[in-house]
Amino acid sequence: MRDTKKVWLSVFRYVVPAEYERWFEAQEANGWHVDKIGQWSSILMTLKKDKPRKYRYVVDMQFSRRKDYIAMYEQFGWEYVGQMASSYIWRKEYTDERPESFTDPEAVEARSKRFAAAVLINLILFSLAVLALVIGFIVTFGETDMGQRLQFVLGAALCAAFAVYLWYVWRKILRNRSK
Amino acid sequence: MDLSKAVKRYIPMSETMFYILLSLRDPNHGYGIMQQVKELTDGRVNMGAGTIYQSIGKLEGDGLITQIREEDRKKIYAITELGTQVLTIEAKRIRELYRNTEGLL
Repeated sequence: MRDTKKVWLSVFRYVVPAEYERWFEAQEANGWHVDKIGQWSSILMTLKKDKPRKYRYVVDMQFSRRKDYIAMYEQFGWEYVGQMASSYIWRKEYTDERPESFTDPEAVEARSKRFAAAVLINLILFSLAVLALVIGFIVTFGETDMGQRLQFVLGAALCAAFAVYLWYVWRKILRNRSK
Repeated sequence: MDLSKAVKRYIPMSETMFYILLSLRDPNHGYGIMQQVKELTDGRVNMGAGTIYQSIGKLEGDGLITQIREEDRKKIYAITELGTQVLTIEAKRIRELYRNTEGLL
């Protein structure tokens, strides 16, 4: 039986696209291979132990890709590993020079901005959730018991904590947008 | 997009945009553009998939290029009248730059 290793929440640990790519590449270099990436890989990813491989990974974000997106990457020799929501994972084996997909500064920045936009949308949604819970708490205050009030407070606190985390992620991606 | 708006957005032009437009005077797909530009520049400009895909999206959205047909999942693009006008304006600017560098070398 082959060795496997489980990685939790990798997406949330390496939030800058270039850092996530380097993380995948380091795993491959140590012989930990990713077979396939799916929707749930962001939560739990299974890596399998084999020989070390020299791979270039590319993480891209496309909200509404054109029909030729996959075909174009494949024509350039990239292997489609999978996608999590709108983020696509590509890889290519290489020997000498590490291949690039975004070869000009404008494209590198545009890629970062797409990731930042995705984070910002979630940040706004979670902030709205906090607002809704606070309003709910105030409006229903006269009719709720302590337990129900506590639920409002806990819900709001959880959403607020996640919103703060997303804000930190958003800032970090933008600060590293030229990477 | 009208010409004055396109000029404002694209000129001066990035090397990537310039070579994609130049290349698409002959209809081509993304990978073909990369090959042609690599050849034109003796391997110096080697555009990646992400760069070409993104640039094509921008140029197509602004009407400088258009998709003319599809060959097994690959889209074939060509420069439009607007694209040609913008490319010509940029070429004139580059010619002026070139003239002004004489005497430097």
